[in-house]
Amino acid sequence: MSASLQVMDVVRVFGGVRAVDGASLEVEAGSITGLIGPNGAGKSTLFNCISGFLRPQAGRVLLDGKRIDRRAPHRIAKAGLVRTFQTPRALTRMTVLENVMLAAPRHGGERLAGSLAAGVRRREREVRTRAAELLGLVRLDAHASALAGTLSGGQRKLLELVRALMAEPRILLLDEPMAGVSPTLRVELLEHILALRERDGITLLIVEHDLDFVMRASDRVIVMNDGRVITQGSPSEVRADARVVDAYLGVRHEVS
Amino acid sequence: MNALASGSFWAFVGVVAGIYTILALGLQLQFGFTGLLNFGQVAFMAIGGYGMAILVVKEGWSTWLAAPLGVAAAGAAGLLLGLPALRLRSDYFAIVTIAFSEIVRYVATNEESLTGGSQGTIALGKVGTAAQYNGQWERFQARVQGWLGVSSKDVTMLVIVWAAAIMLLAIVWLAVRTPWGRVLRAIREDEDVAASLGKNVLAYKLQALVIGSALAGIAGCFYAWQFSYFSPDDFQPLLTFFAWMIVILGGLGRVWAVPVGAAVFGFLFAGTRFLDFRPLSYLSGADRAYVRLIVIGLVIIGLVLLRPQGILGKRDEMVLE
Repeated sequence: MSASLQVMDVVRVFGGVRAVDGASLEVEAGSITGLIGPNGAGKSTLFNCISGFLRPQAGRVLLDGKRIDRRAPHRIAKAGLVRTFQTPRALTRMTVLENVMLAAPRHGGERLAGSLAAGVRRREREVRTRAAELLGLVRLDAHASALAGTLSGGQRKLLELVRALMAEPRILLLDEPMAGVSPTLRVELLEHILALRERDGITLLIVEHDLDFVMRASDRVIVMNDGRVITQGSPSEVRADARVVDAYLGVRHEVS
Repeated sequence: MNALASGSFWAFVGVVAGIYTILALGLQLQFGFTGLLNFGQVAFMAIGGYGMAILVVKEGWSTWLAAPLGVAAAGAAGLLLGLPALRLRSDYFAIVTIAFSEIVRYVATNEESLTGGSQGTIALGKVGTAAQYNGQWERFQARVQGWLGVSSKDVTMLVIVWAAAIMLLAIVWLAVRTPWGRVLRAIREDEDVAASLGKNVLAYKLQALVIGSALAGIAGCFYAWQFSYFSPDDFQPLLTFFAWMIVILGGLGRVWAVPVGAAVFGFLFAGTRFLDFRPLSYLSGADRAYVRLIVIGLVIIGLVLLRPQGILGKRDEMVLE
């Protein structure tokens, strides 16, 4: 098993707060890795450091063995690591279909000079077909021509997921994919995410507060607290680890 | 003669509306499509006009070479400004652009050996001579006038300016409908999302800024030819805000809303010149000039209240979060 993503001793400080304080973790190619921890543990900051939206002040991030911690976000995305956001960020004044089509990689029509080049129209047709297909997958096809701003919060989460898929990632970072999604949709979403690994071979790193979902979906679970990784292992190992309970419920003080 | 009924007066209003259309089209691309807060659009107009005039008078270039180079200089200025400034957050970028436009105006005022200083383009040539940069343009315009068979110079200019404006509008309209335009709109909506999907946000913003600046440069050349003389005072920040009013009145993110906004704006500005009936006629001419500006302001406030989305804008887009 090779590590697809390696995070080594990453530090990110805001003022006096050490949001990420020497966090290290590895995500194996083809795995589903859950990242959990209480609020303020540094999960989202770490996501931002990995995806290039924040520059770590120390430490390294490697994608397939190559350093990416100095790269701009768009270059990391082009290298195959795509992330979603915690609060859904639909491009509200664009249609649902346009939201997905935007994510298409290697689209010559997006170059100013390239919009007249041969093959651009064919690529645009391909992209449109693929985007419509992906929307069908999460049953948003009926809304394809509606403005994305008219979607509900849960629908926006689904839109964001398929938009990220349109970018053809090799590794996908999902920041709380279940937040705001209705219980019925959650079951479907879990199936979609499991299928991504099975069918498309996508490696997944998922931050999620729904522990039930994390334990069911993940091969490995990583637990963060106070900016560090405090433990990791299989779901059953992590579930049995006292430090996890401490992190969520506060440290027990022995009466002496 | 009643100026209101004069065809040549309205032709003049139309020429100015056409020049404003080209100026505001650049802003529409930058703000309406890409979300860039450019409060210094007038600077690029000044660079285009001055670039053309300086090359014609001082270097003796042909107008047909000098004008494209003036436009290119405006675009290049956009690139030089954007490279550092577009890395800033959008509100800081806005402050830089307004400062830039004042810097350009002050340089034009004080760098007398280059621009003729506050005396304007008449002082571009040797001391004691009145410099002219539009001889070749005038001959071209006369040829077009003969070809059109009209008697008025203003009507000729009206045709030339609007032919150019419509061509530029069509080009921008086609460009924003491509996948390239889709990326611009995505950046307007949320640049982090665009970056997270592999789009080089800075490069696209630079492209929008440079194209918009070049459009302002084109407007600057037409402005120069229409008035045969200009000075740094013609490029006050107010002109940038005229362009903003046109874009907002017409409707954001709509290419063909720009000429509509410019026409409404031009009509408002020109039409209110004739507020000389009672009781306004009791006021002196100078006071009436101020009343006119108050009336323009009130009408614009009223229009924005009634149609916040602009004349051609879509209401449903306004209410989305």
